[in-house]
Amino acid sequence: MTVFQTLTLLFALLMLYVVIIHYKKKTLGLGAASFWASLWVIFIVISLFPNLLLGITGALNFSRVFDLLVVIAFMIISLVVFLSYFRVRELEKKLEKYVRSDALKSGQKND
Amino acid sequence: MVSKKINKSQIWIVIPAYNEEKYIGRVLKKVGQITSNIVVVDDGSSDSTRVKISRYPVHYLKHKVNLGKGAALKTGCEYVFGRLGGQAVIFLDSDDQHDPEKLPDFFRLLQAGHQAVFGERAMNFEMPLIRIIGNRLASLLILIFFGRYIPDIPSGFKAITKQTYQKIVWESAGYEVETEIAARVARYQIEFEVVTIPTIYHDTDKGMTLLDTFEMITKIISWRLSK
Repeated sequence: MTVFQTLTLLFALLMLYVVIIHYKKKTLGLGAASFWASLWVIFIVISLFPNLLLGITGALNFSRVFDLLVVIAFMIISLVVFLSYFRVRELEKKLEKYVRSDALKSGQKND
Repeated sequence: MVSKKINKSQIWIVIPAYNEEKYIGRVLKKVGQITSNIVVVDDGSSDSTRVKISRYPVHYLKHKVNLGKGAALKTGCEYVFGRLGGQAVIFLDSDDQHDPEKLPDFFRLLQAGHQAVFGERAMNFEMPLIRIIGNRLASLLILIFFGRYIPDIPSGFKAITKQTYQKIVWESAGYEVETEIAARVARYQIEFEVVTIPTIYHDTDKGMTLLDTFEMITKIISWRLSK
């Protein structure tokens, strides 16, 4: 096992631990926790046995497994950022609506 | 097109304020000498702005959290048009960079039936160069994308009628509201008049920065592309 494989394995184990903690704190439901845990388990398996992906990399014309993983990671990150952007916008609108409505209800003239 | 006449008693001054303890008292005193129809929207100030405002017989609304100028103006408009029965509003900044002596000109034009009035400052040496460039750029972009030239878009000294507000209700919560108001006035071909106002800048001017200018350009394009 190379140094790089060791580092990626440790990183994936750490992330798996974070998922479990958040599941226990109930910030992640069973479904979401299972999803993220599965992803990190797959990550662990691939970091230990990268040759498992040789068939896929060949079919997709990637010269290296690493390149394939980088592209997949980039797609996942882009998706998460994209969805987060819309969630934040939604929350901003809700906050604005609530704060303005509260202000309008309590508005009055100074004596 | 000029629409129905408005009485002076139906025109309200909407002043958004955020941490303006230094100037708000001075502004309210000056405006109070011209009209008693004043609404101040405190946009989540954390200094003694509230205390200063409490000394004046004005309508006071407070955002518990700072939302931005656009949100504060919207709250002021909804209060005036919904609760007070007003027919027009004049926006005036709380940092004493607008001369209330010009309010009668706004009143006159609104009473004559004009739907919107924009205050235009002279682009002279009193205005920082970067502001002049941003200012001209905003007007040029509105002309290119919406087909109408509106001067001095970043100036917060402007007036709109209730009818106009209902057509152009904006989404911007921050400083970009000034540009969005201009874009919507141009888009919906609302007739407007212009009042020349003095150029006043304080050291603590919190107006648009260079980054705001870049954001403005992308916003104008997105407004053009949207409904």
